[in-house]
Amino acid sequence: MMKNDGGVRVFWLLLLFLLYTRGKSFSVPGKPTLTRCRSPEKETFTCWWEPGSDGGLPTTYKLYYRKEGSEKEYQCTDYHTGGKNSCFFNKNDTSIWVNYNITVVATNALGQALSDPLNIDVYFIVEPNPPENLNVTIQNDKGWPFLRASWDPPTKADTRSGWITLIYELRIKLEEEDEWEIHHVGQQKVFNIFGLQSGGTYVIQIRCKPDHGFWSEWSDDVQVVVPNYFPNKRSAWVLLMVFSGMVFLILSWLLHLNSRNLKHCILPPVPGPKIKGFDQKLHKSGKSVDAFKSLEVPDFPHHTFSKSEDFLVEYIEVYVPEEQELMLEKSNNLHNGCLKSESSVSDCDSGRGSCDSHTLLLDKSGHQTNTQDSQTDEQKHGEALQGENLAYTHQDMVSPDMSAGRVKTWPSVFSPLPQNRSTVDQTSSIEIAKQHCLSDSLLPSDFLTPYHSPPGHCTREHLGSNYWEFDFGNKQPHLTQPQTEACHQIQAHSEININTGVKAEPAAHKFPTPRSNEYVEVQRINEEDSVVLRPVASNYDKLFEMQQGEDYSRVKGVDSDNVLLLLQKEAMEEEMNMCPCEQLTDTTGAHYTRFARSPEKPTACTHPTPQPLEERVVNGYVDTATMFTMPPY
Amino acid sequence: MSGQMRPACSVWLLLVCLVLYSRLKVAASAPTCTNGQAGCHVLSLANLFDRVIQHSARMHGISNDLHSEFELYFLPSKNQIGRVSRNCHTSTILTPNGKENAQRMAREELTEVILKLLVAWGDPLWHFHQSLAHNHEFSNFSSNKSLEMSDMVHELRKGVQKVIEKMKMLGIIGNSLGGLGSSESLLAPVSAEWRLMKDYDLLYCFRRDSSKIQNYLKILKCRIVPEHGC
Repeated sequence: MMKNDGGVRVFWLLLLFLLYTRGKSFSVPGKPTLTRCRSPEKETFTCWWEPGSDGGLPTTYKLYYRKEGSEKEYQCTDYHTGGKNSCFFNKNDTSIWVNYNITVVATNALGQALSDPLNIDVYFIVEPNPPENLNVTIQNDKGWPFLRASWDPPTKADTRSGWITLIYELRIKLEEEDEWEIHHVGQQKVFNIFGLQSGGTYVIQIRCKPDHGFWSEWSDDVQVVVPNYFPNKRSAWVLLMVFSGMVFLILSWLLHLNSRNLKHCILPPVPGPKIKGFDQKLHKSGKSVDAFKSLEVPDFPHHTFSKSEDFLVEYIEVYVPEEQELMLEKSNNLHNGCLKSESSVSDCDSGRGSCDSHTLLLDKSGHQTNTQDSQTDEQKHGEALQGENLAYTHQDMVSPDMSAGRVKTWPSVFSPLPQNRSTVDQTSSIEIAKQHCLSDSLLPSDFLTPYHSPPGHCTREHLGSNYWEFDFGNKQPHLTQPQTEACHQIQAHSEININTGVKAEPAAHKFPTPRSNEYVEVQRINEEDSVVLRPVASNYDKLFEMQQGEDYSRVKGVDSDNVLLLLQKEAMEEEMNMCPCEQLTDTTGAHYTRFARSPEKPTACTHPTPQPLEERVVNGYVDTATMFTMPPY
Repeated sequence: MSGQMRPACSVWLLLVCLVLYSRLKVAASAPTCTNGQAGCHVLSLANLFDRVIQHSARMHGISNDLHSEFELYFLPSKNQIGRVSRNCHTSTILTPNGKENAQRMAREELTEVILKLLVAWGDPLWHFHQSLAHNHEFSNFSSNKSLEMSDMVHELRKGVQKVIEKMKMLGIIGNSLGGLGSSESLLAPVSAEWRLMKDYDLLYCFRRDSSKIQNYLKILKCRIVPEHGC
């Protein structure tokens, strides 16, 4: 018996030796490894292990476990349910909230190997099955479709008793796409999906997870086709085009409306030249006159004047000759009788108007029939003007239009100053007369009308009015007619002492005592070519008004020397009438100058006819009467 | 004019104050309702359960986070989990370890278990927080979490007690459950052991117990008021 046992052992040893010598290596099995344990419903669980090398020999694996709080070792009873290398723990063997210490032992003929122990708590290794019965339907929300997905929890998981609480997760994608769109659902079992592509095919999956566990696997795909709720994509494009077209139309219309503003903004107009006050339109229309109208200075002298009102003279300045010597000199010059065609109108004092405006007289005289006298007239004009020395201070002096032999305009003519007496003397023209007249206008009030109607008469016409008419017209010849006989040369020096101070004893000549500037204005020209003057009210109106009646002077007449005889005051007049010239010549202090062209006419002074006296309107002062000679025609 | 305004103003102010006070009073503390008192806002049992369950879920989440954090820092070997020597101080409390066990348990028992667990963990968590706060090794995050955990345990206990009261009121459970007084008796047997536990073990044990609490509450809810979420 013993030999048989020994023989068997030897046989096995020889067999093993033979096997070993044949080159095969046998070893103990390799150490297995527990990979994972999972519980699908928290009631059972399964563990899987990975075997090591088997060592060439058939190896058996066994799983041993121990529970917490007990030293007892249990062995796995079910190695098949979970598959190969698994151990299934049934409900009886499963305890929740209990630590399991699990070990797998690999055993082969040569030995065994123990795996590393694995400690698990079933509560934390729950991995449910995927949800079941995933159902996706197409619903309609006011014409817009959406998907409704519904599912059931895995069968094994007991959620109804509250043993397991599962949360779900859904994912969706178009069939042709690669990326999923994941939606967290929560504990509910229904989910809606919106924002679908018309006509697209969608794929949906779902999975679940317990509170503290692992996610399940994704469920199987569920495909769904979304209907075409956009009737036609092309129609959408048409709509878009129409809308954009409308917008474009509106914008263009707005642009058109505001084109002007835009033009101004983008392309500002280039400012053209502008003349202030010049109306281009009028000019273009042909009414150049009107166009230039605005350019006119209001007080610019009009070249057309119809009435004397146009050139109303506001005032006449009369300057007092400062030196009587000049007077004398001039008086001497007077005798020379030389016409000095000095046109040195040098005495253009400012503010007195243009001294050049001799055109008045010139033209006037020019129109006279006597052409001879044109020159003289000119001279006279110039002289007169110069002599006046003041000429026309007034700006209103309008260029005289001596058309009809009528003084159209009348600047403020002043009586010639003594300086220019010489020149003035030469003028035996109307100008002088005029000057005289005008100087007479200095008389505060009235003027005598040097209107000499009948030639040869020292007629003193008397104007009942305050007008001083100076007749430049045809009467001139008459006027110029020497009337030496009847008329006396009233040599009225153009002592235009407006400034009364100058007039010393000539006050005896009834010069009106302190006298301010007397102004005369041309009222009008009457039809007989007479200048109608009238005094302008001055500051001393009152005074003068009172004296108005007194301060008249009137032309007595014009003698042959073309000297305007003026009347003085009554008292003086006679004297004047008597021999004014003589007096004048003698007296150095004579304030009258006799502007006689022909100085050789210290004609005897004859008494004036009583007529004139009678005709004396007023107690005429011949204040600043200036004698002027009429141009000999 | 001012004389007339002043009394009017004062009256107006008084009215405003009264209104505000009444509103505040209502908002601050809800009056304790007993047996459906009139004018009392009554929460349904389902609502109470939901609130409690949410609370317990949050508590469990925090405990899980803390445990994971400790596991990272201290790296205890996995074998320690299987240490049999580890003994949670609440192991004396018999808790159902399976679904059938839990379902076989009566509501009152289950409720009592929950309550016991909550009571057992009040003090240990507070001390755990204290040790974390004083120990500078741990971050503020951990310290705050431990504090929150500790507070939650107390709040949850109050909530569960309210649920029990409600259930008692509704007649769902009998009066076999002891009142608050029983909590001290529950505490006594386990009072000494937790001081010996290490921090990590404590966290481990609490994590498990919080999950138990949550689970038991869910079971209770689905057993008593199964209409929502079961």
